[in-house]
Amino acid sequence: MFRPFAYSFRRELRRIAKHPSHMIILTLGIIFSYVFFLTLMDEGQPENLPIGVVDMDGSYLSRRLCHELDATQGISIKAVYSSHREAREAMQRQEIYAFVEIPHGTYADLLDFKTPHLSMYINNAYLLAGSLSWKTLLTMSNLASGAVQREILRKQGFDEERIMGLIQPIVVDTHQIGNPMANYPAYLLTTILPGILALLVLLMSIYAVGVELKDQTSREWIAACQGDVTAAVLGKLTPYTLWFSFLAIVGNIVLFVFFRFPIEGPFWVLQLAIVGVVVAMQAIGVFLVGVLPVMRDAISIGAFYGILGFSLSGFTYPVTHMGPALQALCNFFPLRHYYMIYVHSAMFNNTLSLYWPHVCAMVAFLLLPAITHRRLSRAYNLMNYPLK
Amino acid sequence: MNILKNMEQSLSDIWHVFSLEMRRIFTDSGVILVFFVAGLVYPFLFNLIYQQETVLNVPVAIVDDAQCDESKRFARKLDATPEMEVAYRCSTMAEAESLMRQRRINGIIYFPRDYGERLARLEQATVAIYSDMSSFLYYKSVLTGSNMVMLDEMKQIQFKRYSMKGITGERAAELVSPVPYDDVKLFMPGGGFTSFLIPALLILVIHQTLFFGIGMLGGTAREDKLEIELIPEHLRGRSVHRVIIGRALAYYVVYAGIVAIDLFLVPYLFRLPQVGRVSDMLLFLQPFMFAAIFFAMTFASLLKHRESGILTMVFFSIILLFLSGMAWPRSNIPVVWRVLSYLFPSTHGIQGFIRISTLGATLQEVRVEYIGLCLQTVFYFITATWAQRYINRYRPIEERMAERRDHIMQRLADRRTARQSMNRTSVLKK
Repeated sequence: MFRPFAYSFRRELRRIAKHPSHMIILTLGIIFSYVFFLTLMDEGQPENLPIGVVDMDGSYLSRRLCHELDATQGISIKAVYSSHREAREAMQRQEIYAFVEIPHGTYADLLDFKTPHLSMYINNAYLLAGSLSWKTLLTMSNLASGAVQREILRKQGFDEERIMGLIQPIVVDTHQIGNPMANYPAYLLTTILPGILALLVLLMSIYAVGVELKDQTSREWIAACQGDVTAAVLGKLTPYTLWFSFLAIVGNIVLFVFFRFPIEGPFWVLQLAIVGVVVAMQAIGVFLVGVLPVMRDAISIGAFYGILGFSLSGFTYPVTHMGPALQALCNFFPLRHYYMIYVHSAMFNNTLSLYWPHVCAMVAFLLLPAITHRRLSRAYNLMNYPLK
Repeated sequence: MNILKNMEQSLSDIWHVFSLEMRRIFTDSGVILVFFVAGLVYPFLFNLIYQQETVLNVPVAIVDDAQCDESKRFARKLDATPEMEVAYRCSTMAEAESLMRQRRINGIIYFPRDYGERLARLEQATVAIYSDMSSFLYYKSVLTGSNMVMLDEMKQIQFKRYSMKGITGERAAELVSPVPYDDVKLFMPGGGFTSFLIPALLILVIHQTLFFGIGMLGGTAREDKLEIELIPEHLRGRSVHRVIIGRALAYYVVYAGIVAIDLFLVPYLFRLPQVGRVSDMLLFLQPFMFAAIFFAMTFASLLKHRESGILTMVFFSIILLFLSGMAWPRSNIPVVWRVLSYLFPSTHGIQGFIRISTLGATLQEVRVEYIGLCLQTVFYFITATWAQRYINRYRPIEERMAERRDHIMQRLADRRTARQSMNRTSVLKK
């Protein structure tokens, strides 16, 4: 068992050294993804989203309101429009995500103790930008209401404490469990980046195991490993396991140590889980080549499956709100279990007793190659499949 | 006369390459898998996954230490919001926390003991909300629902307090909301996740399947030394744009059907919002398809192996989605990445298509994207021709035939060696 393994391991190292282009491209791809996403979202939450104002009042008050809106962190005023139509067109050109309409005579109405009416229009076609600018506008208008009330009550001689009780009787104290600052990259990247890594590991494993069939070298290789297909495949994949596990661990260190993404539970659980993902993806790769011993088809199917993992892991759209068939399907993706382990351990600091099913599922992926072991051995020895 | 003859020859060359490429597409199982299976199955799958549009009725627990009328009313109102559902009423925080850990609930609303007392004393009372951050859609629902109830409750309490101070009726209403507002959500009033994400994914699926399918065809041609068949010999390396046009037309014809299904039938079947004019969408898609095709052909000519494209570039699909400005607002993308995004037809394609289809813009209003795609079409057509001419440089037919022959002989020799080694192994085993 050990000698064929060692032979296969050394043989693969030589192969990589001879044709390093794929490994170099994939490693650069992983590094590029980390750099890309971490620089793309370095703000944490999108700030200064461009919005517009239709100021038909043109008074001291409306200008002050504009100024206050502009001063908030979430939004900034990109332009002041003279008509509703102009603002709507700017919105359709995606120059602004929302606009506030201040009708004619707002200030005069306020002075006369009449109630002026503000209108806010939000572009809901862009989910994140739309809801964030809506949230900021809503907060601002409630604050503005409060400010006006305070002015009026002060004039009537109420003291500050009673004024606060009158204008804001209820205070909401929000606690964001697992991500106290509602940091968007901490939420998104902790799963999306391991997901990209997992996808590349899968494709690379399919390539490594399948290329022997394509190049018609499988028989020679298995023969040199004394016919021990298991040892041969394990030896061939081990260099990739080591290299990609290393990248994955470094990746998590970058996220949780350098970028200080919040983590409640022990760090080693997450590191163990990501190595689990790497190995599980390799097992799935071997399984797929076993099912389809034609490398090109196995790679296409692998890519198809790998991309679905992003949607079905449920970190963007929660699995609890998908249909029952899809909820079952989700379990067939290691990324789903990685995400769940991340939620349980890193966000809630739960003990293993609450998330052991996901650990078991991760281990279960390792048994997949056994199903197609016979088929793959035959394909390797007989080479009776189309080559490309 | 000469010009006419030249045109005739040109058309016949294009037709020759077109029909050859068509045959290659339909006889290659890998390409069929990418074009027809991935290109047509993904749109349906994505629609099924994101079927529910919004995350409603998120289960939450109430921990009511106050047990007063106000807190009970607050809890009732929470249950009545579309966003939340009071799944549990716990007597202690520890109990609720344990439910949250087991992931049975995604939020806890806690009323401290003095909630009612403080309200009775006309002071400020606090409600604590604990939200599960594992998905921002849970967080959004919990936050929106509880804020709406809080604002509503606040107004009710304010009216009561003002009336205690002798301020009632219209005067109190003016005080409670001195500057009333209404918020109008345009284009997608439901704020659904499906209607937001799917159109972008549909365009991306078309862009990416074209890229990988064409990459596969290009890699195969390179690997099997097929240029002898693909490039008409009489051209002798000149006028290779005829080859590029002929092949591009083959992809275009195949994708006309796929685009019709993905961008028109699928949105119709799944009732995605499409408010734009169909003619505008069709006009917009023409430069998008050609830009995507020529872009893919340019990159395909760099690939030496059939599987290289899919192996190395699949992960880029995720990056393209973010570059398009759908997931992360375009205004907040760093300049470097914004410049990079203009290299890919998907960026303008997604932006323009969504604006026409979801926001009801006219072609005139997406002219920036339209012109951008036209420029990309021209640019990538030139690069594809250039790559064809210089990377796969023309060599005399004898040389290419000899190379092809050597290639086939080599493969046969490989097979023979492999077979002999099998015989040896079987001998060894005996």
